[in-house]
Amino acid sequence: MQSADVIVIGAGVAGLSTAMQLALRGASVIVLERERIGNGSTGRAAGLLGQLRGNVEHTRMLIDGIEIVRQLEKTTGTEIFVQTGSLRVAETPERAAEIASLVAMGKSIGFDIEHLPASEVAKKLPYMRTDDLLDACYCPTDGHLQPAELVSGYLKVGKDCGVQYKTNSPVIEILHAGGRVQGVRTAEGEYHAPKVVNAGGPWSYLNAELANATLPTAAIGHYYLTTRPDPNHPVDRMSPAIRDRELRLYTRPESGGLIVGIYDAEPDQHNMRKLPVDFDMSRMKAARDSIQVARLLEATNARFPWIDERTPMTITTGIMTFTPDARPFCGEMPDLEGLYHCAGFSGHGIVQSPTIGLIMSQLILDGQSSYDCESIEADRYFELPGYMTRADIERRCFEMAGNYYTKIEKATPVATGHA
Amino acid sequence: MKILVPTKRVPDTDQKITATADGSGVASDHLPFVVNPFDAIALEEGVRIVEKLGDDSEVVAVGIGEADYVQQLRTALAMGSTRAICIECDQPLDPWNVARLLKEIVLREQPDLVLMGKQAVDDDANQTGQFLAALLDWPQATFASRVELLAGEIRVDRETDHGIETLRLPLPAVVTTDLRLSEPRYASMAGIMKAKKKPLDMIPLAELGVALEPRVEVLRYHSSETVRRGERLRSVDELVERLRQDVGAQA
Repeated sequence: MQSADVIVIGAGVAGLSTAMQLALRGASVIVLERERIGNGSTGRAAGLLGQLRGNVEHTRMLIDGIEIVRQLEKTTGTEIFVQTGSLRVAETPERAAEIASLVAMGKSIGFDIEHLPASEVAKKLPYMRTDDLLDACYCPTDGHLQPAELVSGYLKVGKDCGVQYKTNSPVIEILHAGGRVQGVRTAEGEYHAPKVVNAGGPWSYLNAELANATLPTAAIGHYYLTTRPDPNHPVDRMSPAIRDRELRLYTRPESGGLIVGIYDAEPDQHNMRKLPVDFDMSRMKAARDSIQVARLLEATNARFPWIDERTPMTITTGIMTFTPDARPFCGEMPDLEGLYHCAGFSGHGIVQSPTIGLIMSQLILDGQSSYDCESIEADRYFELPGYMTRADIERRCFEMAGNYYTKIEKATPVATGHA
Repeated sequence: MKILVPTKRVPDTDQKITATADGSGVASDHLPFVVNPFDAIALEEGVRIVEKLGDDSEVVAVGIGEADYVQQLRTALAMGSTRAICIECDQPLDPWNVARLLKEIVLREQPDLVLMGKQAVDDDANQTGQFLAALLDWPQATFASRVELLAGEIRVDRETDHGIETLRLPLPAVVTTDLRLSEPRYASMAGIMKAKKKPLDMIPLAELGVALEPRVEVLRYHSSETVRRGERLRSVDELVERLRQDVGAQA
């Protein structure tokens, strides 16, 4: 039996960042990971960082997250944030209006964002089709976080502050009595702590079930391709990330090639309970005739005509954790004191993790956060009809994932915001 | 031009492979099955040759197995094969008998070229292509890393320990593929849609008139035990000293 101030379940970026922030404040922390560190969704992520979101508080979290990452870079001496800039393109009037509202919102909070005419886009990105574009906008301060380097950073600082990491240690029981958490049990024995963090990613709803709680997250399949370097279509390592919401695509440079990912209309769903106990996400493989890959190829070819099924590429597939509104669950739920959820990042876990770790540490140690957490509160669907059974939850999360890129965002400019 | 591509349905060997408790086979309950990767390379190369010719040339994918093989043959069709043949057989086969069954298909189909993986990744036998060429008395080239069709013949680069060996074979011939010949594609949307309408013929084993004569008897499957002996050393100096000792001990 071991004791700590906090036990964190899951060594993906959410758990690692939370553990690090807690330890920086002097808390004793044990991280229990079912398999290997950073080998779940974290290990498959592309890591795109687009700071401007429809919700100003989320934008603030992302901007502040970059500062935390810069600090980690200083500590570890490795590059984590690659500031390539980012580009969003519009090929329909609705998308052009979306970009216009985004630019207006960005400017209202002093964010560096500009319209970019299609002719300029063509100059910046010779490997992309631009003749059908109506408008585009460019954010020079966006880019991507390198997931492996980010994990190393969290680990190094965490270890220096005394965090203990235990791998191949699935949690099989959450111990509680009288409405309060007391710890967890693994095959090796009990770990006692008054606070437990459920940072289980796609497994988070199963962890919640261990405490008889319902966490409305669902495991959604995701695919991206990575082309190999092609001398005829060079992709500079500092080429901007591109988002084409109409085609459901995002891209970023990777080792001389291009990563292109899709938020598919009909992604595959996974039942985490049915996966083998020793399931290793890095071994997931797309079938050669996967319909999702075929749709990815089709959309990719529409924007990058030089990429088709004959192009040398690798396909990466993994599992994302979606929620009914694509926002994470961070914090306690009313029925069990001391169990803090931290999951459901809906494809944004890497880039949200730096600030989320800070927020979690504040919630756990201070009982409140310096951020407005209303939109990410863990109890926002608590005992809400229509969000209580697995079937309902999965249907809603699946719908959200399927419409994730195609819904038109309406960003509202703010008069007084955080710069 | 008709290219016949024999394929094997194998467990995805990138997954964790274990033997069944009784040692009778591989525990495959959780394993996804795929077209043997070397055969997928052969399929890709065949499809590329046909796409380049742009005429009525065809790639015929062949499989030997039970009904669940249809899924892998549909994959072969989605990747661009023209049609597929499945020999219905519920018995385990060794390479000799696979070659004898394939011979019957070759005699029926009369292809110009048989293109197939150099080996299957489940048993690594590396025999079927060679047996088939011998049974047909056709020229063969194994471990092809590049092929080029010429008039009535095929030029094949083979990767050997001595360098690249180039062979020229009159057609028809049997060519087995190595890793670098081509990179199998993921099927396009059009490929998947078309595959649903492509012919997939089921041929009962009995129809081929081949009496199976097993020559290999599998006694037992068991999982290999990987022992990782690692040790954490405190410094580079200690590592160098340790390496010196180990080399000294082996010399």
